[in-house]
Amino acid sequence: MNDDVRTLTAELARDPGSLVFLDLAEVLRRRGQLDAALTVAASGLARYPALADAHALHARILAERGDGDGAFDGWMNALQLEPSHQAAHRGLGFLYYRAGDLGRALRHLEFAAQAAPEDAGLRAAIERVRAAAVPAPEPPAHPGDEAVSPEPAAPAERGVLPTSRAIPFAIDAESGTSSDSELFAGLDGARDGLLLLDQHGLRLGGALRDEDGADVSDAVAAHLAGVSREAARAARLLGLGAWQSLGIECEYGNAHLVAPTADTVLLTVRDVAVPAGRLGLVAERAAQAARRWLERVA
Amino acid sequence: MRVLEGWVSGPLSRFLDESAARLVLLMTSSGQVVAQHGFTRSVDVMSAAALGAGIMASTGELAHLMGSPRFGALVHQGTEQGLLLSGFDTPRGRWIGLVAFGPESSVGIVQLFFQQFTDEIAAATPPEEQRGPVLAENFEHELNASLRALFGR
Amino acid sequence: MSGAEHALRRISAVRGVRGAMLVSAPDGLVVSESSMEDVDGRAIAALAASLAGRLRRAAGGAGLGRPTVIQLRGETGTLLAVPAGEELLVVAVGDRETNLGLARLELLEAARGIA
Repeated sequence: MNDDVRTLTAELARDPGSLVFLDLAEVLRRRGQLDAALTVAASGLARYPALADAHALHARILAERGDGDGAFDGWMNALQLEPSHQAAHRGLGFLYYRAGDLGRALRHLEFAAQAAPEDAGLRAAIERVRAAAVPAPEPPAHPGDEAVSPEPAAPAERGVLPTSRAIPFAIDAESGTSSDSELFAGLDGARDGLLLLDQHGLRLGGALRDEDGADVSDAVAAHLAGVSREAARAARLLGLGAWQSLGIECEYGNAHLVAPTADTVLLTVRDVAVPAGRLGLVAERAAQAARRWLERVA
Repeated sequence: MRVLEGWVSGPLSRFLDESAARLVLLMTSSGQVVAQHGFTRSVDVMSAAALGAGIMASTGELAHLMGSPRFGALVHQGTEQGLLLSGFDTPRGRWIGLVAFGPESSVGIVQLFFQQFTDEIAAATPPEEQRGPVLAENFEHELNASLRALFGR
Repeated sequence: MSGAEHALRRISAVRGVRGAMLVSAPDGLVVSESSMEDVDGRAIAALAASLAGRLRRAAGGAGLGRPTVIQLRGETGTLLAVPAGEELLVVAVGDRETNLGLARLELLEAARGIA
C-alpha cells in the first residue's frame, strides 16, 4: 500500500493535471489517512470542478470525517453533473438512512442498484431499508451498518444529514408512498407527467416516465435542480420581475415549470399535441394541489 | 478561494457563484496577486500572474502602436476550456482578472458577471494605506507573505 | 439589410416586444440585435443562452428531445428563445402586454429562415 501511495504521488507530481488524484485520494481514504485524502481530493476537485467522480470522492471523505453537510453538497453536486452517478446515489441513500428518512434513502439506493444490480451489499442495504420502512419507523439500530454505509461509516454520534434538509418531508417517508399518491390525486397525469421536486433536485412526489415506461423522475429532477435558480436570475437581471413560469416546447413533448413555493419546483409534461397555453393551465392546477399537499405534510 | 484582503471576498464569492468559473486570479497590473481561486500550487499562481500581466502590458503597447485605445479584455476559447483576461480600473489603480471557465459556463456569462464583479470591487475598495517605497530586501518577504496568505501555508 | 436583421425587425414590431436578437448559443454572445430598449443586450444573450443550455440537457434527460421554444415568464415581462440550428438562438424580450402568440410565431419563422 505504501508503494501504491509512493507511485501515485510520484505520478501526480509528474503530471499535476492528471486524474491520478482520484486513485491517490481513494488509496489514502482506504488507509484511513483522511486529512491527506481530503487534501488530494480537494486539489483535484479545484482542477476538475465539472468531474462528478471528484465531487463524489470528496463527499465520501467528508462523510467519513463526519461532515454530513459537506458530504450532502458534494454528492448533490455529483448528481447535478451526472444524474445517474452510482456512488453519489449510494452516498445520499446512506445519509438519508442515517437521518431516518427511509423513503428517500430507498429511492437513492434503488437508483444506485440500477447501475450495479450485482452489488450484494447494495441489495442487502435496500432490503434492510425496506424492512425498516414497513413497521413503525424507528431510528436505525445500527447506523454504521456496513451494508448501507459507503464504508467505513461516519461516526454514529455525529449528525450526518443537516436536519433542515432531512426533516420537512419526514411525514412522507414515514407513511410510505400514501401521501405521495395523494399529491396530485384527481388530476390528469397524476401518475405520469407531474413531478414535484425540491431546490436540491430531489423528487418530492409525482412521477415521470419515458416512452418505454421507465421511471426517469429522479434523473430529470436532478437535471432540473438549478433551473429555477437560473430562471430567477435571468428574470431578475432582465427586469422581468420574479419568475412565474418556464414553458419548454420540445420535439417529443411540452414541459412547463412553475414554483408552487419558494423552495419547490413543479414540472408538468404533456404530449406535443397539448398546446402551450393549456399546459400552463394544467400546471397551475397542479401547483395549487402541490401547495395544499405541502401545507399538509410540512 | 484565497484573498489577501478581506473586502475582496464578497465580490469574488458572488462572481464565482454566478459564473461557475474554474480558476480566477486577480492581480495588479504589475503582477502582484490579490486573490486566487482554484489554483493548488503557488508556482502556478506566480507563473500565471506574470504571464497575465505580461500579456496585458504587451497588448497595451500593441494598441498604442496601432493608435487605438487599450484593449479591455482578451478571450481565448478552447475546446475544453476558455480564458478571459481583462483589465479594469479600481481606486487602487488598474487591476487584471484572469478567469478560466469550462463548458458549464460561457464567455457571455463570465463577461457579464465579471463586469458586475469589477463594479463591486470598485465600490468596495477601501482607501489605501500610505506605504513606503518597496525596497528590494522587502520585496521577497512581501511576496512570500502574499503566497502564504493565498495558500494558507 | 440582411435576412437576419429583417427577421429581427419583424419580431421587434410585434406589440409589446422590447427587442430581439440573434445569439451564439455556445458562447452566449450577441450576433445581431434589433432595437433593444432599456435592457443590456449582452445580459440577454448570456442569460438566454445559459438557460437554453440547461433546459436542453434537462429536456434530453426527460426524453423530450431538443427544445424548440422556450418561454420564461416573469411578473412584468417575458423572455422568448427559439434555437436556430445547433449554434444560434433567436431571442426576444417583451413586456406584460406582449402578444406572445404572434411573437412566438415570428421567432419560429426567423429561426427557420436563419438555420
